[in-house]
Amino acid sequence: MTRDHHQRVIWTIGGGKGGSGKSFITTNIGICLSKLGARVILIDADLGGANLHTFLGILPPGPTLSDFIKKRVSHLKEALIHTGVPNLQLLTGAQDLLNAADAKSAQKRKLLRSIKSLESDYILVDLGGGNALSVLDFFLMSDGGILVATPEPTSIENTYRFLKSAFYRRLRQAVSSFSAKSLIDEAMDRKNEAGIRTPYELLREVRRINEEDGRKMVEEAATFHPNLILNQVRSKKDIEIGFSIRSACQKYFGIQLHYLGYIVYDQDVGNSIRKRRPLVLENYRSKAAQCVSEIASRLADSHRMPHGI
Amino acid sequence: MKRIEEQTHYEILEVSPDADLKEIQRAYDHAKETFHADSPAIYSLFSEEEMRKIQAAIEEAYRVLMDEALRKSYHQSHSHLIERSSSEKQTEKSVKSSEIKSSLSFTDLSIEVGEMTYRGRSLKQIREKLGIDLKAISAKTKINIKTLELIEEEDLEHLPAMVYLKGFLKAYARALNLDAQKLIEGYFELFKEKGKK
Repeated sequence: MTRDHHQRVIWTIGGGKGGSGKSFITTNIGICLSKLGARVILIDADLGGANLHTFLGILPPGPTLSDFIKKRVSHLKEALIHTGVPNLQLLTGAQDLLNAADAKSAQKRKLLRSIKSLESDYILVDLGGGNALSVLDFFLMSDGGILVATPEPTSIENTYRFLKSAFYRRLRQAVSSFSAKSLIDEAMDRKNEAGIRTPYELLREVRRINEEDGRKMVEEAATFHPNLILNQVRSKKDIEIGFSIRSACQKYFGIQLHYLGYIVYDQDVGNSIRKRRPLVLENYRSKAAQCVSEIASRLADSHRMPHGI
Repeated sequence: MKRIEEQTHYEILEVSPDADLKEIQRAYDHAKETFHADSPAIYSLFSEEEMRKIQAAIEEAYRVLMDEALRKSYHQSHSHLIERSSSEKQTEKSVKSSEIKSSLSFTDLSIEVGEMTYRGRSLKQIREKLGIDLKAISAKTKINIKTLELIEEEDLEHLPAMVYLKGFLKAYARALNLDAQKLIEGYFELFKEKGKK
């Protein structure tokens, strides 16, 4: 989460595979937060096919982020769409910029600044799957990005891959020497010549060339607290996988992952998506909706609500 | 960021230095389940060699921390490391308790996991490690000591049929804070093995 003097909180939802439920979760958590009386903006930046509007049951939007980038609208807030849910607005088209390989980093920085200046209590950014550099940068713009995984090995493997990329990207931003930066770049390649396979081996090598950068790496690891939501759990054993992932992250990366919660597998989810009606509005009593709303309350609890509840 | 070799027994099991035996037992069960060849949570992360290292560290931590004398001498020889990590852990612990407070779904969840089942003998071992005598269990569960002994000895001849036994097993497991289902499963297996013979 990132907070400035406006008490604005940004959560980025990303990591892992497509189909693990990131858009579903983004939409429904957003609605839950808005029902708590907070102003919420959802940002659709899913490269794999942005369609938060479909989850919300509204038509493909008119104004998008591209209109802002191409200066057809002068302020980002003019590209916001009303969703029909009170307090909830939607911004789409962010994926176009993330996708553009040639998007200038100055442009990205401007976009980040504009997002951070939006008037809202919560901003939820759906990044979708994939780990392109610009996706990682977006993920890292909130100190506590949210990873969504399902209990299958394939999903967990992808989540770790994303987490590793994000973690190394963060370390790269923190160290100052060129040699440390290039060492981190090299470590990203699994078959690197230096033979660096784990974060500890990377740390050892960085320490060897630059003690100060080694210290910074340790500092970064201690302050990096990504969050995890486990989706489509079917048993108590599945739920416990989340705790195991937390332990594995601690042993492998040396980072403290926060297990935010889980969402049970529920037929009602599919039904609500087919109806294009968000689950927490369509069927609040369903098990999955209860799980989502619990996670939303936890997110809200971690900050004082500006307007009270 | 500490390599496995640099972590204290407490860090290996993710417990605070003042953890009691029950907490250590639970943390051990969790660690064993997590760092297990078939665990989905470690998939793609660790090499076989790293896994062996972690598993050995978990066993060693458990062996030392469950033994009062060994734990004491470990504490003395590693006091500088433990002292430091204990202040770190304190903040972490407070985070964790707030985590639990704000989450209903996690509160009724015990973190003993997995395929591992308990049987009479393992139950006895755990009970003795926890330093609880049968009388205390009997008082807590209202099950007479003779029956508890039969359960620990896995004396199927003299124990009632599974239908009746279930309730006893459940109560006993709960008295030790263990997952009752795992004890019941363990006993089902026992009956099955016996039946085969």
